[in-house]
Amino acid sequence: MTTLLRRSQLSRRHIALGAEFEQIGDTLLVSNYGSSEEIAQAKSLALIDLSTLPRTGFKGAGATTWATSQGVKIPERPNLALLQKDQSLVVRLSYHELLILSNIDPLSTQIERLDSMAVGPQTYTLPRADSHCWLAVTGSQAAEMFSKVCGVDLRPHKFANNAVAQTSVAKASAIVVRHDLGTTHCFYVLTDVSAAEFLWDCLIDAMLEYDGGPVGVASMRELAAEG
Amino acid sequence: MKLLTCPLNGPRNISEFTYGGEFHLMPDQNKTDARQWAEYVFFHDNAAGVVTEWWCHTASTFWFLAERNTITDQVIRTFEASEVFSQRKAFSVIEDQA
Repeated sequence: MTTLLRRSQLSRRHIALGAEFEQIGDTLLVSNYGSSEEIAQAKSLALIDLSTLPRTGFKGAGATTWATSQGVKIPERPNLALLQKDQSLVVRLSYHELLILSNIDPLSTQIERLDSMAVGPQTYTLPRADSHCWLAVTGSQAAEMFSKVCGVDLRPHKFANNAVAQTSVAKASAIVVRHDLGTTHCFYVLTDVSAAEFLWDCLIDAMLEYDGGPVGVASMRELAAEG
Repeated sequence: MKLLTCPLNGPRNISEFTYGGEFHLMPDQNKTDARQWAEYVFFHDNAAGVVTEWWCHTASTFWFLAERNTITDQVIRTFEASEVFSQRKAFSVIEDQA
């Protein structure tokens, strides 16, 4: 039977790794890969695919004014992220460009609402759900692993929580957002969807020497709940 | 790796940038002749010394300006285009009088 649920571009990778999926909204995410050690793995070094979660964007000289009028809280300067009331994350990429990422639980209601509205003057929609893949790298060794594939210093004392870097990761242009889960470091990486499998393989390869590996969103939930 | 400082994103590896050509103010397309327009679009001064150039930070598609010495390849400074352009460039059209 064909499912209408949205699947990740990395779905084949997940199935090959023995993933168990869960339905969130109208999408499928990897819940876990069957290991009982996934939380410990996520605290040390892990890779998570969030590509099917809702996200959107807006751009243009009037974008921040319009978004503010819709109740969106805007980060004070470019390359900063700000958590919203509905737990979505607004990433300010430049003076006039916003990227909005949904939380897992609960899914953002704001993103669907904004996407269905007519935008204000000098504001242009910038759909991100199909243009970018979205991965998360978690754990205490994440920054050290990134030093192999990214030129920006992502160590915690240099790259604060909610800091954003638009840079190159494994030679692919990427947006990196630090958004910690409780006390565990977490970096979102968004890159062109055509590079999804490439980036996944590169990060898995870079993680090997630190015994890092993929985990599901169930681990993310646990870490966020631990506070 | 050589570094270039993006006014929006800070210092980044030069491999993250794309060169966008010499900076020249665009002539008024309604007053210029074909030769002047071709000079603006196709030809470059290729001067030896400090020149102003367009550069783009590829990861954020942020266009900015840089002053670079083409003899020493030293970048003197980088700055936002808003230092030169205070508003969006409009292309006014003169209606055909014929």
